[in-house]
This record gives sequence, C-alpha cells and structure tokens, in this order.
Amino acid sequence: MVVGDVTTGTDVLVIGAGPGGYVAAIRAGQLGKDVTLVEADAFGGVCLNYGCIPSKALISATDVAHHARHAERMGIHADPAIDLTGMVNWKDSVVRRLTKGVEKLCENAGVELIEGRAEFVDEHKARIVHGGDGQGSETIEFEHAIVATGSRPIEVPGFEFDGTHVLSSRDALSLDTVPEKLVTIGAGYIGMELSTTFQKMGADVTVVEMLDDALPGYEDDVARVVRDRAEDLGIDFEFGLAASDWERTDDGMVVRAEDEDGEISEFAADKVLVAVGRQPVTDTLNLDATDIEPTENGFIETDEQCRSGVESIFAIGDVAGEPMLAHKASAEGEIAAEVIAGEPAAMDQQAIPAAVFTDPEIGTVGMTSEEAEQAGFDPIVGQFPLRASGRALSMNDTDGFVRVVADGDSEFVLGAQIVAPEASELIAEMGLAIEMGAQLEDVAATIHTHPTLSEATMEACANALGKAIHTMNR
Amino acid sequence: MAFEFKLPDVGEGVAEGELVTWHVAPGDAIEEDQVLAEVETDKALVDVPSPKTGTIRELRFEEGDVVPVGDVLVTIDVEGEEPDAEPETTDASQADAADVEAATKAAESEADATEAEGDETSATGGRVFAAPSARRLARELGVDIETVSGSGPGGRVTEMDVRASAEEAESETTTSDSDSAGETAEAASDAESTETPEESQPAGNGQTATRATQVQAADREQTLATPATRRVANEVGVDVNEVPTDVTRDGEPFVDEAAVREYAEAQQAAQAADTEALAGEQEPAAATGAEPTAEAERERREPYKGVRKTIGDQMERSKYTAPHVTHHDKVDVTGLVEAREKLKPRAEERGIKLTYMPFVMKAVVAALKEYPDLNTSLDEENDEIVYKNYYNVGVATATEAGLMVPVVDDVDRKGLLQLSSELNELVEKARDRSISLDELRGGTFSITNFGAIGGEYATPIINYPETAILGLGAIEERPWVKDGEVVPRKVMTVSLSIDHRVIDGAEAAAFTNTLMEYLEDPTLLLLE
Repeated sequence: MVVGDVTTGTDVLVIGAGPGGYVAAIRAGQLGKDVTLVEADAFGGVCLNYGCIPSKALISATDVAHHARHAERMGIHADPAIDLTGMVNWKDSVVRRLTKGVEKLCENAGVELIEGRAEFVDEHKARIVHGGDGQGSETIEFEHAIVATGSRPIEVPGFEFDGTHVLSSRDALSLDTVPEKLVTIGAGYIGMELSTTFQKMGADVTVVEMLDDALPGYEDDVARVVRDRAEDLGIDFEFGLAASDWERTDDGMVVRAEDEDGEISEFAADKVLVAVGRQPVTDTLNLDATDIEPTENGFIETDEQCRSGVESIFAIGDVAGEPMLAHKASAEGEIAAEVIAGEPAAMDQQAIPAAVFTDPEIGTVGMTSEEAEQAGFDPIVGQFPLRASGRALSMNDTDGFVRVVADGDSEFVLGAQIVAPEASELIAEMGLAIEMGAQLEDVAATIHTHPTLSEATMEACANALGKAIHTMNR
Repeated sequence: MAFEFKLPDVGEGVAEGELVTWHVAPGDAIEEDQVLAEVETDKALVDVPSPKTGTIRELRFEEGDVVPVGDVLVTIDVEGEEPDAEPETTDASQADAADVEAATKAAESEADATEAEGDETSATGGRVFAAPSARRLARELGVDIETVSGSGPGGRVTEMDVRASAEEAESETTTSDSDSAGETAEAASDAESTETPEESQPAGNGQTATRATQVQAADREQTLATPATRRVANEVGVDVNEVPTDVTRDGEPFVDEAAVREYAEAQQAAQAADTEALAGEQEPAAATGAEPTAEAERERREPYKGVRKTIGDQMERSKYTAPHVTHHDKVDVTGLVEAREKLKPRAEERGIKLTYMPFVMKAVVAALKEYPDLNTSLDEENDEIVYKNYYNVGVATATEAGLMVPVVDDVDRKGLLQLSSELNELVEKARDRSISLDELRGGTFSITNFGAIGGEYATPIINYPETAILGLGAIEERPWVKDGEVVPRKVMTVSLSIDHRVIDGAEAAAFTNTLMEYLEDPTLLLLE
C-alpha cells in the first residue's frame, strides 16, 4: 500500500527501540504522553537482537558443554557434542520471546510502534521512511524527540564485513557451524567474550590485538586472570599487531597483521571476527536539519537531563556517549522521559556498573584505587581471593578476587572490581552500596548467605577494615 | 599527611565559631595570609588567614558547621614539602581553655569522635554521599545537594538534611529587613525586629524533618536502621526500638545515626534530672501517649547558634544575674530638635549625617560624670565594684544577623561630628558584618534606641557586665504643660535599666534627671 506522505502528530517521538528507546517510550507513556516509537530494524535493538542477550545465550549454552567436558575432577565423564544450528535456534527463540515482550510492554503503555527510519525535517518534525520500495513515508510532528539510535560495530580498513569471511559480532552470533580456525581482531570485551565462547565450542582461536594486553581499560591484575584462563583454554594472543588485510586461500583465508616495525605476520583462518569497538549512529538522522552538531566521534552531547543543545531534542544511550552500555541507555531513557513530563529527573548516579562475560566474569563499578586517588580521596582497599571462598571451591572455580575501594577517612565505598564466576551478578551489591553512600561497615556487617560467592564482597569490605575472617588482613 | 591547620582562637575567649564561607576549595593554590574562610564568632565575622603557602588539600568542615577552636579546619599541602610527609600539626590556637575543652570533648566518647569525623569528610573528593532517594528529593525541592551538610553516618546526606536545607533556604529569603532606621538615629532598638516569620513547610511532602526531641521512648517491635547506625546505638547503649522517629522506610519505622545520638543524649539528660529530682523514685513509665508528630508540621526548627545564641546567652546571663530595675521618664527635647536642625546642614557640608545619638551620648557622659555609679561593673569574683574613668558607650544596633552593640570609645574626648562619623561607620560595619570583635567590646554604658522603630517605653536588658542601659523612645509632638499652658512640644521618653546590686533607684532617678536637663537644653553641653 502506498501511503504517500501523511502528517501525524505526537508528544514524544522516540527514535530507536533498543534498551534506551523502548524504556524511554514506556516511561513517557506511563507519564501520560502520546508516544511514537520508531525502529528501523528490530524492536529491542542491538542489545536484544544481536548483542547482549544472544551472546549471553550462546555463552551459557556453550558453558553447559564446556563444564561437562571438564568435570573429570568432579567425577563426571562426558563428551557433549555441540550442534551450533540447534544452539542458534534456541538462542533465536529466546530473542523472539524478549522482543515480543518489548512490543507488548510498549503497547500496554500506549506507545505507537512504527517501523522505519527517522530523519529530522526540522526541530519539531521528522520524516519516517519505511523500508522497501513503494512503502512511502510519513511525517511526524513532535513536541519532543528522543534520539536513541545506538551504535554499530567499527570496521577495520581492509576488513569490510561480508558476513561469510569477515564477521561482525552480530554475524558471529548466527553461524551454523563452528569455524575450525577463527582469528579475532580486538581483545576488548566483545572480542574476549566471543573468542572464549568459540574456543570452548571447539574453534582454534587467535586473538590479534594492537595494544600489548587483553581487556585494555581494566586493571592489570583483573585482566590477567581472564587472559590466563583464556590461554589455558587454548586461545593464542598476538599482541602489538595491527590487522592490515586478508585474502582467500584454497582452504579458507589468511589474515595479515603488522607490528610497529612493519613486520608482517600471517594467520590462517576460516573466518575473521572484527571486534574493535562500536561507533554511534547519527548519520541516518539528517541532523543538519537541526542545530545539533555531533562531536568528532559522532556522539550527540547531552547534559545531566539528557538534553541535546536543542530544546526539543533529547539523546540517550550509545549515541549520547560513553560508556556504551545498555543499562546506561535504559537509565537515561527513563530520565529523558521524566524530564519531558516535567519531572525534576537527572542522571546523577554516582556509578555505572559494567560486566564482561568472559571466563571468569568481570564486574566493575565506581572507582579503582588509582581513580579514587586522582579524585582526591585517600583510598583504602580490601580484597578477598576466590580460593578462600567455600562456594567457589564447591563450584570448582576459584580463580579471581573481589576488591573493594573505599575512602580512608569516611570509609564510604567508592568502587569495586570483581573477577570471579558470577561477577556480573556480584557487582550489583557494590553498586547499591556506592549509590546509597554505604560505608564499609554497612556491607561488612550485613549478614550474607552461606555458602555463596556474595560472602566474598562482605569479606573484602571487612578486609579493608582489617577484620576479615577468611583471609589475611593487611 | 598534609599540614593540618587548626581553627585558631579568633577572639578572646571564643570556644567555637560557625564556618560561614569558604574562600578556598580543595586543589586551590594559596599564599600565606590569604583568607581561607570566614568564621562567625561571638558577635563578629572573622577572616581566617592561611599560615602557609601551598595547596588546599581538604576542607574538614562545611559551611554552616560550628567548628570548635583547635579542631582541624583544613589540610594544606605545603609548598616545597612532600605531599605525603609526616603529619605536622600546629597549634595555631594559643587558646587555653578552648583547647582543653576541645580535647576533653574529643576524649569524651568514641562516638562523638566518629560524628566529628563525619562532618569533616562529607565533601571529600568533591563528592556528596547520598542515596538516590535523597538526590531525587533534593531535585524536587530545588536544593543543590552539594551545599547540604550531611548528618548521616560519615556525613552522608539524608532526606532529612535535604528537607532542612530546603527550609533554611526558604526562611532566608523571607527574613524581614529590619533596617527601618527612622529620623531619630541609625541605632535601633533591641526590640526583636529581626525575627524570621514562621514559615510553613513546603507542601506535598509526607515526611517531616522535625524529629521529636522527647525523652519518651518509643516502643516498637521492629526498627529499620543501617548496620553502622546499629553499631552506634550499641556504643551509646541505646535500643533502636526505643528511639523516637517519624521517618519510615517501606512502611517500617527508620532510625538514623543522628536520631540515635539525640535520643541517647536526651536519655542521659533526663536521667540526670530524674536522679536529682526524684531520688529513689522510679522514672515514670515511658509515655505511651501520642507523639506530637501530627503537630510537627505546624512548627519549624532552626538551630540555636551563632549570633542568635550569643545574644541569647548574653541576655540570659544579664537578666538572671543582675536584678533589673527600670526607671521611666519623659523629656521635652524641643531644644535638642532645634539644635540638631541647626547643625545638621553644617555637618552635611563635611559629609557627615548628624543624628540625635551623638547628642544623647554626650548628655549621657555628662550625667555619668556626676553619677559615676552608673559607669561601673561588678567584679563578682573579687566582690569589688569597678568604677571606670573612661566613657565607652555602646549603641545597640539591629542587623540582619541579630542584635549587635558596637562601642564608641572615649566619648568624653570626642566632638559631635567625630562621634557621628565614628558611630555611622561602626553601625555600617555591624550591618555588613565586617565589624571586629574589639569594636564590640570594652563598653562601659549602653544606649538602645527602641524608639527608632516605635514605642514609648521599654525595659532594656543591661549589656552585662555593665550596670546600666538607657533606652530611648520615639521623639513625638505631644501636649506639654509649660508655664501653666498646654503647648505642643517635641517629647522623648527614656527608660533606664540599672543593676540594682550596684545602683539604687534614687541614683537612677537622679541620673535620669540630670540627663534630661542636658537633653532639654543641649547648650549646657558646652560647659562640659
């Protein structure tokens, strides 16, 4: 049906239905606004469709097999076979269920869902271009718009994504067979998560990283635990190499990388996964029709209330700057919607947690000891090794530690770094502690369930106070 | 550790000061003698200079905190020294008693120490520690949470703190301006004209910041409190279920550290009183009656501190120490009014605003010379009456912060114009709070001009340890019998309060008569 160009009106136009956009739309709907949510691809965005959720599904599924295969010490002898097609189908069913859920939630909140790509006509009007020929377009007048277009993977020159040989993280989550040899470019969190998973599935993974360590941005002792485990799994690390190009060979491909002296190394592979970071999506928005000027890196700058420089336009999530994390996007989405509804909301959270789903996992929140010192605190640190945790022992998974950073004078908790099984869950408690302005004593004196990994956070706080029971107090 | 700068004794016998303004922030470079902060003591604002050149490391108190003399105010990374050198502390405070007091206080209880520590660190690293709920409330009430001083554990900002801060801001903006200096003089009365009008709480907030201060124990089955609060409760020997609170979390009564401490103190005070009054008798059962929570919203609580408290302490001491007698009379000041009218333009030529006050001061000094009993103080320790052969006259002045009494020295040796300009300057300084402690001290007799605002008679409270104070009513045209005829005359009322321990009523009357002679005919002052 050709719709032509009709004009409709809405209070709030949300562009992008990822974890930022759909949350903003639902909240705005709850607050009585007439909301239109536009999505160019799939409701739920990258997070639900091609990112967080599907990758965690594959990681969890793979771990079932991996643990079974490596449980001789626990008296289990098994050799499970991985049917990647089956696993991906299951993953897709999880994704479908969640995205359907998102649509349902939006509808229940009175949000109108539109498929299409939105571009600004001016600061109160956007044209929605529907996919496919002859679908036409429509123009929507809005009082406020929330830009939540998210991000896309960065391409490395010479490695344009083709979905068969050169894979983006999205492609890697939909393979039907496990590649025999996989080269991963980039040892950041996405590269490390996927490399670990494919190695566990049976691939022979080589990670090529330009810097000299895995997981740049994390403290050395945190990254080391994960890197050591990855090496134990059989992953090869090639640090200090920049991927330059690749070509097809008879039995696959060869990936070339160059060190700083110009020396070329070659790696045979079936597929190459490029995971060197993500960049914001602003080029589809026709921002020229507004007074918004993206930064050099393509982000839309926003204030504490998620306002762009333009009165009527807000921006949230990846497109509004680092850290590019789904939960940050969701938090900003709620704030933008509340501000539009006239509430005095603001993004004044003290810390945004982050998790890496490697083996073991990493969870961090707030400041490292070094950051605390730079911020003018006189930090004290408490640490608890997983090998002293009864639960970690009983899980046969004792690598890692919980570290807490606090202000030495006031004993307020400032940050935590956890590298441990379930670190992504454990970090939540420390996030709450920081946000509430808890002191070490508050966490140390809270009774934690035994036997659980969470006791480690309690002990780390006690350790900072010099009164841990199950580890040496410094 | 950095150099720890302790609050010095900023004025004779001052034990503590309220930190009014920081002039520096952590990270600021400072020079020796550069002003670090303004501290309000006794009755004046004092600039606190830096003893060192270097970089500000940490501010240990927040604006609005009361800082005991001898407590570390600020830490400084001294230029040319390793930032982490050995702790160096200086005793900038030569203060004797104050220091000892501070030390004893600190030793009194560990709990107290933790509280002080909290105050110091609430703004460490430029960060405010507060729960998201408190942050949200601050935004709703339009309070900048960075400016709120926290009363929670470690100085955490609680919802209560945010509400208190919001109310403070509200009352500040509505404080009435008392600068209604009438025709008569700059000096105003000690009639409490700077009262803050009672403001109702911002509407729409269920919780109230006012905490019941009763000693009555609550008797709950269950109480929410953080582990840190429970620990404090243990330390001070209080059952959190007994701590009165009207704050709830998730429908459960919630108690914070401040409430625990307040209750513990109240308990101690009550016990002490009970032991005294009803020795042997059991303390009456804790009241089970309704707590005045419903009424709490009808009231507002403000800290009794700073200038207000100084005034209060001073008034209390005077009124309860010196038996006051007040002598009232009225005087025909038509001659004075005429004399002033005549001299006023002359004074103006020299840029001086001539008021009645210098005439009154001169008349007072003339009368004091005849009746030296009124220019005295009583040295209670030595049982001696101190007769003063100098005439320093204090003039009560209403300021936004409250009553101040700047003192003009050696009134007997100064002319009208000099008195006028000195007084004008002192009043100005008192109002903009740049007056020094010395300028508020050393008076031998005081005058209060309540008539500036209006009123016939009042009973002034003596500016202790002086022994007399003269109150001036308004100058008004009244019917006056002169030579057997009723004529309109300019008439002023006077009210003289005396310390009856030193001065008798007859002397007060005689002094007043002499004073009135001079006021009636100011040319007599020429004989002085």
